Amino acid sequence: MPRRAIFTLCCTLLGAASASAHPEIEAALGRLNARIAAAPTEAGAYIERGELYTRHEEWTAAEANFLVAAELAPAHPRLDRARGALALARGEPASARQMLDRAVAVSPTDHEARVLRARAAAALGDTAAAARDLAVVLDALPSPPPELILFHVGLLPPAAALVQLEAMMARVGPALVLQLRALEFEEATGRVDAALHRLGTLATQSERPETWIRRRGDLLSRHGRAAEARLAYAAALAAALALPDWLRTSPDTRQFIAELRPLVNPST
Amino acid sequence: MNTRLLLFALAVFAAAPATDAATTILRGPYLQSATPTSLVIRWRTDTTEASVVSYGLERNALTSNTKAEGITAEHVVQLTNLKPGTRYHYTVGPVAVPPPTPATEKKSAAADAPPKNGVFSFVTPPVVGPAKPTRIWVLGDPGTKGKTQEAVRDVYYTFTGKKETDLWLMLGDNAYPDGTDADYQKAVFEMYPQTLRTAPLWPALGNHDAKSANSITQSGVYYDIFTLPTRAQAGGVMSGTEAYYSFDYANIHFICLDSHDSDRSAGGAMMQWLKADLAATQRDWIVAYFHHPTYTKGTHDSDKDSDSAGRMNDMRAIFLPVLEAGGVDLILTGHSHVYERSWLLDGHYGKSDTFAAAQHVKQTQDGRADGTGVYKKRRGRIPNAGEISVVTGSAGHAGSATKPPPLNHPAFFISLNEPGSFVIDVDGLKLDAVFLNDKGAKRDWFTIVKE
Ligand SMILES: [Fe+2]
Repeated sequence: MPRRAIFTLCCTLLGAASASAHPEIEAALGRLNARIAAAPTEAGAYIERGELYTRHEEWTAAEANFLVAAELAPAHPRLDRARGALALARGEPASARQMLDRAVAVSPTDHEARVLRARAAAALGDTAAAARDLAVVLDALPSPPPELILFHVGLLPPAAALVQLEAMMARVGPALVLQLRALEFEEATGRVDAALHRLGTLATQSERPETWIRRRGDLLSRHGRAAEARLAYAAALAAALALPDWLRTSPDTRQFIAELRPLVNPST
Repeated sequence: MNTRLLLFALAVFAAAPATDAATTILRGPYLQSATPTSLVIRWRTDTTEASVVSYGLERNALTSNTKAEGITAEHVVQLTNLKPGTRYHYTVGPVAVPPPTPATEKKSAAADAPPKNGVFSFVTPPVVGPAKPTRIWVLGDPGTKGKTQEAVRDVYYTFTGKKETDLWLMLGDNAYPDGTDADYQKAVFEMYPQTLRTAPLWPALGNHDAKSANSITQSGVYYDIFTLPTRAQAGGVMSGTEAYYSFDYANIHFICLDSHDSDRSAGGAMMQWLKADLAATQRDWIVAYFHHPTYTKGTHDSDKDSDSAGRMNDMRAIFLPVLEAGGVDLILTGHSHVYERSWLLDGHYGKSDTFAAAQHVKQTQDGRADGTGVYKKRRGRIPNAGEISVVTGSAGHAGSATKPPPLNHPAFFISLNEPGSFVIDVDGLKLDAVFLNDKGAKRDWFTIVKE
């Protein structure tokens, strides 16, 4: 059978797998099938089809497409990343890492490949390697999202994590989830005053400061500073009582106030 | 201005690399990240040049100029120190518009009526908090580039007439098939030029947009095209990402979630941010929008775990309880190319066979003043007081007519396999909404009143 005919057959078989259930995959598959029918030796289209199947968790179909791509263009720059992503999604971090090593070697600025490799390394327990990859990506991205920053600091010891969090917040701004994580690290490393200061800042930045002020009280209370805690609870209560009527009388605010009163006056 | 200064200004403008006659604006201008005192104006030209916006309170006196640094074809200019709730006229180009001379002033006043020379206008959002009548246009899955998308658009333009659109939302799948730059050019920039230059667009990421964009690296076409608030510039709590964000307009708090590409786990960053954002708001209304519906029996099926890789399950089982506890009033989604509008609901987080009207429908009326009555909610942040869930994913196409979708999810009061768009009018403590199909018919309407 001539080579072209083999690929035409491949394209028919590989593009047909159990897609009927999902209209979303069906339409995209239709377009890729047409592209492959028109140019059956274009490896990129097989890679895209494999990636489509990966996204829809059709592992076998994805792998079959990558195999065809590998035969057509073994050195295709996207192939290793695509296969690495598939292996990682299938829960095979060791083989994912091998492929992603090759992908990063070929394209050191492929941030997606590095993030995938970091996930593979983290899954294998090699947190140092994962952290190294993420540091490269975080440095390179103009505006790294909190998810990536949290992934990175989660791989570091608390003190180093705190330094990194502060550095990232200086760059991208004090995103709420980064502040929350910094609070956890501060408390874990015994930096209670730093945490109190952070909660104070969060309170002044919020339109609804009462919950942050209450957290100050909780933190003080956890660390045996009862008198200061009571003051914080009193301030939280005052903030709640200062809300406009329609908010102060809402069920959640009423409950909040009811919970605070005994904390302000423990004897009553 | 004294004569010497005027002569100097004219000399400067004459010497500046005057607007190259060959320069063409390929895209925009379009408005982004509007706040009561600032706004981002973006546009694309076919050649690189300076980015200048000339603007002012009078159409023929664009006396203020803001210039971004550098020479580029992708222009991003942020105007600051604007007055809230104020109409500004503006034009974009490589050089500032010269201040009017008595002669030019007379000339342009005479020809003032139709927009010319690319002088457009926008109204800044009002001060946050107090109510202001607000019109919102909502487009789900619009970007098919076809006749249906045009028809849906034109019906809205006729419907709204001279009443201005204050802001508009896109619920994802804004540009088919792959969310590429070329897809966006046809499906968005060439489709809605007049709304783009007069009303700020607040988009959500859909699965088709995500084919050319990556939330974890904040890169790709969607993230390149849009300027969204990562630092809570427009209100709400700082998310640190353009993938999900919130903003305020008058007495309304809007929350945009990324149902496709960001971590949707209960302990994830998006959830932590959402909880804090809901807890922090003081607005009268909370409107949440994202791509994947919590309930649908349209061109997608929220009962099927494998459909959309479980994203609909995640949004229903993980995010919906938090939104409801946070007092959300309206949830807008797309993805399913139909229109489905719920009863006033609370607490339904399972598959459709677990839906029990007696338990999950908070108010049994149809929401219509001319029907069995409008929905009534108490003013304030009331957890689990019920929301209306709207799937409006047919601004570009509806489901198949020959193999129509089942449209039998019991959470919905009405389900339609028709193209169309959704319009919201908020006036103080009253919210009116209507679904307009592509033929211009009002196919659904409802009202929520807060007391
Ligand atoms: Fe979609």
